[in-house]
Amino acid sequence: MTSPALRVLVVEDEVLIALELECLLDELGHDVVGVAGSSAEAIALGIATAPDVAFVDIHLVDGPTGVEVARALSADPHTTVVFMTANAKRIPDDFAGAMGVIAKPYSERVVAGALRYVADLRAGRAATIEGLDGFRLAIRDGAEPRYLSEE
Amino acid sequence: MTHRDPPAAGPRKLGIDAGAFVAAFTASPTPMVLTDPRLADNPIVWANDAFLALTGYAWEDLDGRNCRMLQGADTDPRAVRRLREAVRVGRPIEIELVNYRKDGTSFWNGMTVAPVRDATGRIVHFYSAQADMTGKYRHEVAMRDANDELERRVAEQTADLRAALEQKTALLHEVDHRVKNNLQVISSLMLLKARRTPRGEVRDALQGMAERVGALSTVHRMLYSTGDVTRFDLREFAEDFVSELVAGIDNERTAVSAEIDSIAVSAAMAAPLALMLHELATNAVRHAFPDSRAGRITITAQRSDEGLRMLIQDDGIGLAGGKPNPAGFGRSLVEMVVRQLRGVIVWSDVAPGTRVEITVPLDAVSLRTGTERVAEAEWTTR
Repeated sequence: MTSPALRVLVVEDEVLIALELECLLDELGHDVVGVAGSSAEAIALGIATAPDVAFVDIHLVDGPTGVEVARALSADPHTTVVFMTANAKRIPDDFAGAMGVIAKPYSERVVAGALRYVADLRAGRAATIEGLDGFRLAIRDGAEPRYLSEE
Repeated sequence: MTHRDPPAAGPRKLGIDAGAFVAAFTASPTPMVLTDPRLADNPIVWANDAFLALTGYAWEDLDGRNCRMLQGADTDPRAVRRLREAVRVGRPIEIELVNYRKDGTSFWNGMTVAPVRDATGRIVHFYSAQADMTGKYRHEVAMRDANDELERRVAEQTADLRAALEQKTALLHEVDHRVKNNLQVISSLMLLKARRTPRGEVRDALQGMAERVGALSTVHRMLYSTGDVTRFDLREFAEDFVSELVAGIDNERTAVSAEIDSIAVSAAMAAPLALMLHELATNAVRHAFPDSRAGRITITAQRSDEGLRMLIQDDGIGLAGGKPNPAGFGRSLVEMVVRQLRGVIVWSDVAPGTRVEITVPLDAVSLRTGTERVAEAEWTTR
């Protein structure tokens, strides 16, 4: 993989899922800058670490607060938020600023593909999500996702 | 009674005099009244007993007064205006309006009012016959009330049903969410253990299990992301599954092609079919091409008269060529699943390679609307 390592924040209250995701991200050559299980923790870590990418589950320790977390983290234009949830129906129409969603249960391939997509966009390269059935982009009034316009 | 010349077949010709008419009208059970527009304010000049009975007035109360004395608070002014206009231009009219009796009680009065002309065509009287329509109105009101009540009840029941459906949908989403989350946890557990296990048979087994769980997970994800939770599209699954398969192949020498018809299969069949396809295809990838041998795997699935026909074929080393298969578990798993689906499986060595043909009957849910695509993903309608 030619893409530089991404700095990833994992917001997931299920410890086993978070741990496995950490291993996977590590294997894919990315840096996990933190793991948060609650919304307060997630927002604090977001401010402290300014990650490139945040994977955000909807259901956290303190309830379905992932949407708020996504809104707070995506306020920093540097951070790309991607939901990672088995409850996509909870995502609001505007996606709370997130770029898209990885549906649980996900496969390692889809996580890798989604990160490749994000890395390509950030590098100004053509990016595609073709073949990534479990990864869907937010629909923003037919507009292209954030980084694509910089091409 | 003043009258213009009666028609040819009129009473005079029949030998009946005007007195007989007065007697007949006076005794008629139909309330009748006669006014004289030639006098000031078109007063009542005659009324029969039935009219007195209907209105509760004595003749002395009515004599010389205008019929508007019967009107009151609930009388529709528009009806009064129509009546007045008809009288003004001398046109017959049929009308219903609220009138009041002497005792103040009201009734719906359905009346006809017609001008009576003399020989010169001048209007000399207005003749009116009445009928008490209160019963009819009461009936109409009762009908309307009954209808309103019925509509209210239907609306209430619809609301109840909708609430019950919403509750059921919420419950389904909750269960769906839990199932998916648990599948993710199971798969994470196995992968974590695999990562901490030295390379070898145990690690392979753990990874193999995680992949099987992955195949089942894909089914779950697809089932619940579409509007129809009772069925899923085999082609959609196959596309995703082949992508996973190809991504898992380390070398460039193995090609995988799939031709899967868009076939809606029931949720009950989805998981076993997915497991079976996963097992056969993964088996081919792992065992058909040892020692960097190049090759191709083709997967096809079609509807046939017998149900669903699937073919997984490779041009690898064949069944006999392989070393005694440590993954014999894969083959028996496939056979168990086919048995569960009441299908038939035929393994053959086709030199080169292996060919596995499976035919399974489709169940009633799968056959419901044939081969058309299941409902669009809910997503797209958001």
